Amino acid sequence: MPNHWFWWAMTIACVVWYSTITVYVAIKGAKDIKNMLARLDATRKEDDARLN
Amino acid sequence: MTNFNWLLDGSIVGLYLLVTMIAGLWVRKYVGKVETFLVAGREMDVYLGIASLAATEFGIVTCMYTAQNGYEKGFAGATPGILMALAMAAVGLTGFVIKPLRDSGVITIPELLEQKFGQRIRWAAGVVIVLGGLLNMGVFLRTGGQFLVLVAGLDVRYLEIMMTALLVGVAVYTILGGMLSVLVTDFLQFVVMSVGLILVTILILMNVGWEKLVTTVETNYGAGGFNPFVNPTMGWQYVLFNLMLNTAAVLTWQTIIARVLAAKDTQTGRRVYTGTAFFFVCRFLIPGIWGIAALATLGPVANTLEAMPTYLSTAVPAGLMGILVAAMLAADMSTDSSYMLTWCSVIYNDILAPLRKRPWSERKGLFWNRTIIALIGIFLLLYGLWYPLKGDLWTYLGVTGTIYLASISVLLIACCYWRKANSWGAGASIVVSAVIPVTYLVMEQLPSTAALAKSIGPYYSGIATYLLSGAAMILGSLLKPQSRVEGRTA
Repeated sequence: MPNHWFWWAMTIACVVWYSTITVYVAIKGAKDIKNMLARLDATRKEDDARLN
Repeated sequence: MTNFNWLLDGSIVGLYLLVTMIAGLWVRKYVGKVETFLVAGREMDVYLGIASLAATEFGIVTCMYTAQNGYEKGFAGATPGILMALAMAAVGLTGFVIKPLRDSGVITIPELLEQKFGQRIRWAAGVVIVLGGLLNMGVFLRTGGQFLVLVAGLDVRYLEIMMTALLVGVAVYTILGGMLSVLVTDFLQFVVMSVGLILVTILILMNVGWEKLVTTVETNYGAGGFNPFVNPTMGWQYVLFNLMLNTAAVLTWQTIIARVLAAKDTQTGRRVYTGTAFFFVCRFLIPGIWGIAALATLGPVANTLEAMPTYLSTAVPAGLMGILVAAMLAADMSTDSSYMLTWCSVIYNDILAPLRKRPWSERKGLFWNRTIIALIGIFLLLYGLWYPLKGDLWTYLGVTGTIYLASISVLLIACCYWRKANSWGAGASIVVSAVIPVTYLVMEQLPSTAALAKSIGPYYSGIATYLLSGAAMILGSLLKPQSRVEGRTA
């Protein structure tokens, strides 16, 4: 175990956790955007239909 | 001398900017209502929320002050990040404050405060939030420009032009697309920013090496470089001030809370918090390691804020340099856009509320929101150009942030959980938490009082602000009998 194990463990945890979460959020976040825009589009069409 | 290659790295940066602008402008067609403009129609889900929150809370300014902390304090400089991660995880797991806030369906914090403390307190809270927020954001542009000029090896005379160009680009898509553009560009910016941060950190760990980083900190700071409690520039007062500051930020910093308010439900907002918590350790430790690497490589420098970008300008090879600059631009643009939108939402929703006796049309509302964002951009340019930063950047941000964090966190907790809290207590709390930090900032700038300000220090001044703000709420509320109107719980 290297000297100053706490900061060594924190550094490794940061690199590993951040790399993993970046890939995971990149995939899941893209789906979130797609769904969000679909819901907003549906709401906008409902509003337009109500006005007309 | 820099490794930035205008053809290779410039192309990477140009491609990033093009894609971001297209994405930011593309979603503007979905914006037809003020609610969609300010909180994305409350349709944000967990992973988009995590990406947006992480991207918003990491700008070039963050990278600069956390690297400065690493350079000046060693690993112990990452202490605020650990404290913030703990606070965010605790709030996300328990739902403390954020649950009643999101359940209430408000757009901004002052809107909720009105339900408990009345219209005047809503207005005053809005002013304090905008004042603290804009003063805080005022240094973002200059610091961002400084980084880009140093890393890309540009003439320092171009700093103002860089700042203006950065801001105009961000303002265009924020003005047109509001929170929707902010969320979508934040997502892209999170990915680009994260790739750059991870690659540069791995490069540094491989090239400089863990042993050299540790030895550098030991040589320069001894045990204080690893333990904040024994560091002569930190101590218990630094830890306590940062614990208060970061807990208050997690509860009330409007750019963070905006993600909870834009979430599709309360549970989603809480999951965004728990999912993003550990990012705040990375936010301090990763640039902190860059700062330590700068100390190990450059040795002592006159301007510690510039040490990290100066080091990176020659340590990062061409190609990766383009990714680094794109990552930092991404970090900065996501922060600027979110901050401009957030302060705009408070100005429109709360400060201008007395002018809207009758509800404005959606068209008029959108027009005013866009105008306010443009005005905030102009203010930032002017303020960023003339304010001379003294002391370290993190402390400046902490002191200006405390102007509103102290009172608004006290007001919000009291609003949600203390039945006897009333407008007297709220008013007293706002005044106390604004007067102490502003007085400290003024004293720091005046030659006649600068020495006294230095002897008090920002940490004791900050701790006093939080404690006295809480005391003012309790005393003020107990002094005035509770009225029936104010007795309503939020």
